[in-house]
Amino acid sequence: MSMVRVFSEYERDFVEQADVAVVGSGPGGALLAKELSCAGHDVILLEEGPPFTPADFELDGGLSMARTLREGGLRTTRGYVMPTMQAIALGGGSLVNSAICVRAPASTLEDWCGEFELEHTSRADLDPHYEAVEKFLGIAPTPDDVLGDRNLLFRKACDALGYSSEPIARNVRGCRGSGECFTGCRARAKQSMDISYVPAMVKAGGRVLTSVQVQQVLAQGRRATAVTGRVVRPFSGEPSHSFRVDARVIVLAAGVMATPVILSQSGDLANHSQQVGRNLQFHPGVAVAGIFPERTNPQFGATQGYHSLAFIPEGFKLETLWAPPALLAVRLPGFAQALKQRLAEIPYAAIWDAIASCNRSLGHVRARRGTMDPVITWHFHPDDVLILRRALWILARLFFAAGARKILPGVHGQPPEMHSLEEARVLADSELRAIDLVCGGNHVFSTTRMHGDPGRGVVGEDGRCHDLDNLYIADTGILPQSPSVNPMHTCMALAHRIAGHIAEAL
Amino acid sequence: MGIWLLAALLLLWIGLRVFGGYRPLPPAVVTLTRREYAFVAAAADATFPRGGPIEPSGCDAGVPRYVDRYLAVVPARMRRLMRLLFFLLEHAPLFFPPGGPSGLRRFSKLSPSAQVAYLEGWQRSRFFPRRLVFTSLRSILTLGYLSDPEVQQALSLTPQEIDTPICEADGLWPRIGESRA
Ligand SMILES: Cc1cc2nc3c(=O)[nH]c(=O)nc-3n(C[C@H](O)[C@H](O)[C@H](O)COP(=O)(O)OP(=O)(O)OC[C@H]3O[C@@H](n4cnc5c(N)ncnc54)[C@H](O)[C@@H]3O)c2cc1C
Ligand code: SF4
Repeated sequence: MSMVRVFSEYERDFVEQADVAVVGSGPGGALLAKELSCAGHDVILLEEGPPFTPADFELDGGLSMARTLREGGLRTTRGYVMPTMQAIALGGGSLVNSAICVRAPASTLEDWCGEFELEHTSRADLDPHYEAVEKFLGIAPTPDDVLGDRNLLFRKACDALGYSSEPIARNVRGCRGSGECFTGCRARAKQSMDISYVPAMVKAGGRVLTSVQVQQVLAQGRRATAVTGRVVRPFSGEPSHSFRVDARVIVLAAGVMATPVILSQSGDLANHSQQVGRNLQFHPGVAVAGIFPERTNPQFGATQGYHSLAFIPEGFKLETLWAPPALLAVRLPGFAQALKQRLAEIPYAAIWDAIASCNRSLGHVRARRGTMDPVITWHFHPDDVLILRRALWILARLFFAAGARKILPGVHGQPPEMHSLEEARVLADSELRAIDLVCGGNHVFSTTRMHGDPGRGVVGEDGRCHDLDNLYIADTGILPQSPSVNPMHTCMALAHRIAGHIAEAL
Repeated sequence: MGIWLLAALLLLWIGLRVFGGYRPLPPAVVTLTRREYAFVAAAADATFPRGGPIEPSGCDAGVPRYVDRYLAVVPARMRRLMRLLFFLLEHAPLFFPPGGPSGLRRFSKLSPSAQVAYLEGWQRSRFFPRRLVFTSLRSILTLGYLSDPEVQQALSLTPQEIDTPICEADGLWPRIGESRA
């Protein structure tokens, strides 16, 4: 039998056995599955989405989202309404993300240790794990030759204003600067989990079941015994055969939105603390477009190639950004010829964004009745809105420092275009409300948070659920709060550490 | 008797005005209904009129066919919402006619200038849900417009030619929907 089973290969209900069952093949799950397979354990990795080949990638933004993202990429939060994207594919978010890999700052991890009673999660504790991931995935700063104008202009702007900036370190080998990380890397430069950790796991003898939706974890007393669920057809999600996987250790890495749903559908498992599904945090982000006098050829360049960490102490991080033009164009204001005029300016554009650590803005996830879909509720704290207001102003300053002719700030109630720094000053001075901002939030955390006190968190520092002896969680849900920077690297470092604990326990 | 006949005729007239008289679908359209196709085509040309800095109109750029394809691949719940959106915007002019009673027609039967005026009204509305409906429609149409190769070429946005190198994952799984060789 093939080591990676796909939808067409399930012919009947089935039962499998393994030492370890890992649910979810995103950065957390795939890494952990590979580490345990390489340590000689019999591992099954279960993934609801299908595996993609480059021929399956759809370059069109809308059609691509409908294939690779949950709810066709149109998922939004309630409370404060904001789009949020979660992948459904072998490789999870790594298939569609921009490959940004940043270690969490030492000061952030120090705060975590103090606030969440953690003893072994300082930067010095995590550095060996970060290093192991960096070595395996070839994480390195983006080279100059694939930066392209829109990344280089950001560097110029930061230099002009005296802000520190650097090329982004990414899990990429041989980037061609196609700017299409979001729709899947046809050049296979991006080391997404499906072409990195998963093949390495399979080589070490691991098995992968794709198109299987885990619905429940079965448990007896303090021991988890199996996962059960249904085979689901790619894209439509239509269920077919049932399955069960018995395992000595079960690891949930289904992501921030799905892991709490699985636990809740398993009879409110691992929830003595009542923290499952709570403490949901985002990095809400805002983007500003700048139009330059010269062509920027924005189609060329690493998707997100440059960033500035200068404002981390103030709660935000600045980055360059690119996405399929159709998705970017959706945000342009105007109608009829005015809209066409704005579209015609795309070849002269650069887009830069800010993501904010919003530790005061919290939400929760619960299962939509009778389904495995989450209902996501989140509220934007007014003090956190101020962080993004400041970020918008800094972005405006950067654009004009780099020579932009005008900016499109994308803020309700403000002029759609601003032609000078003086005009843009309203961004700093006005009473911005959360609903004035056009935000998106693709970095999510904390719905099964790690906490030293079993009464206040779901897992301990070893990733094991406080309530069970052999159930672990290894996705970004265990981050106790925002890591201040893009979360994937910290998720993988923690999963690497958890794999070590499981190997010892086995 | 006379009054009932009159009422029946009135209902028939309203019924025809709301639901009748749509042209047959062009070949290969599989998801949109006749009404939806007529609405999307009219809205596409109102949103992207021919000429100006990018030549093709919404229909020239194949927006209705794109929407037909898009609707087929989005999850069922989203599909229902989009259909509702098209229905609402197609028939709302019967209740809020642009430019007075002379505009008392469904959207796809309005003159091109009345269609533009009508959608502009939704865009400029002080009522947030109306603006949201407009933005949702514009987003769907924009996805379609920018997917057209001619539009992409006009904006220098044609994707790079990329050859896909061989890697370790090759052979581990087939293309989606295909069997293993
Ligand atoms: C567009 C985009 C760009 C991003 N860019 C970056 C970036 O550049 N750098 C960065 O650090 N972060 C980035 N992120 C965030 C990053 O991708 C996520 O933080 C990361 O993928 C989280 O990893 P995870 O393992 O926790 O979960 P996920 O990657 O979400 O993986 C979970 C997996 O579990 C599967 N699953 C869910 N439920 C079930 C079930 N019931 N049964 C079986 N399988 C299930 C899912 O299909 C999925 O494949 C981005 C996110 C998005 C959406
Ligand atoms: S920019 Fe293009 S080549 Fe580089 S990693 Fe992203 S998709 Fe691959």
